[in-house]
Amino acid sequence: MIIYNPNNEEILKERIEQAEHILSQIPVKHCFITGSFLYKRKYNDIDVFVISRSKKKIKVNIEKVKITVLDFNDLYSLFYHSISKSCVSKDFLPKRTLKVTISDYWDIINEAVPTLLNQKNKFHKDVRYLILYTEFFKGGKILDTFQLDEKIKKFVNYKEILRYVENNIPKIINKKIKKSYLKRFFYTQSGFYKDMRNYKAQNFLYDLTHQITRAVANG
Amino acid sequence: MVNSDDFKSKIVSLISQDYEIKFLGKNFDKIVGFLSETKAEKIYVWINDVVNEQFQPILIASKKPYKDWEVKQLLTFRYPFSINNTEYRILLVKIKNSVYIEFHLGDHKYYDKVRKELYLKK
Repeated sequence: MIIYNPNNEEILKERIEQAEHILSQIPVKHCFITGSFLYKRKYNDIDVFVISRSKKKIKVNIEKVKITVLDFNDLYSLFYHSISKSCVSKDFLPKRTLKVTISDYWDIINEAVPTLLNQKNKFHKDVRYLILYTEFFKGGKILDTFQLDEKIKKFVNYKEILRYVENNIPKIINKKIKKSYLKRFFYTQSGFYKDMRNYKAQNFLYDLTHQITRAVANG
Repeated sequence: MVNSDDFKSKIVSLISQDYEIKFLGKNFDKIVGFLSETKAEKIYVWINDVVNEQFQPILIASKKPYKDWEVKQLLTFRYPFSINNTEYRILLVKIKNSVYIEFHLGDHKYYDKVRKELYLKK
């Protein structure tokens, strides 16, 4: 068994043993446990990830175990890099170079904003990708599941997250991509939102695309 | 326990349009059968919010095709719920400024499949 814990977070001792027991019941070499089960006395699910090419359903008769199967293509994602950063694993985990683009990031924002406006203050589960990607593009930091939880906990309400989006995203995007591509991409996006501004989400996204392109115009 | 035909009729009446919406999903009737009256009522309230533009859609700016349409022409409204620790999702698909075309109901696996088709998941 391998414990990945680069940030020296406090993993509960008894959970390491339990994790080992759970992983031993999974007939796959690459599998790991991450999330609140490792750090918190109270937890909702035991998040088990299995890396496999097989489509066969894996079942373990242990309460609260939630198994997610990852394809080998998923290993390039920011999601995988985050969940595998601090975890208890059956064996050494395969590593792949991170591949993440601004277009992926915008897809996340595009989906997160309406979801946030619908969920309002029950946002904790739904903003994980938004915060993960934003923190990555902001400072190059890949938050592990524990750090991500801590970061999300700091937001008092959904409005604070919307402010975080408005304050950070235009700056991040302007720093990260070429002006010519940025203009083309965001003018197109803005066009799609324009006639849907009767919805709060698309109105917010429309304004956001304008803040981004305005920053280009202001040099 | 909710009857699937009654459930569909109620949704059709809430949406109130001439175009016949399609009800799709693996085990649709079975899942509706698991719904309590309270959970079904919450779904009707949600549909009402969608119809009154109080619920926010997801809009994907892509020219890729989805059946007879381009993805960018569609608005998708998502409603998650769970019954006995199993998560289910509803995806209600509407053509921009026009009619509702599909009502999907299924478990996570089905939801992921439809999400991919609608380019909500790459």
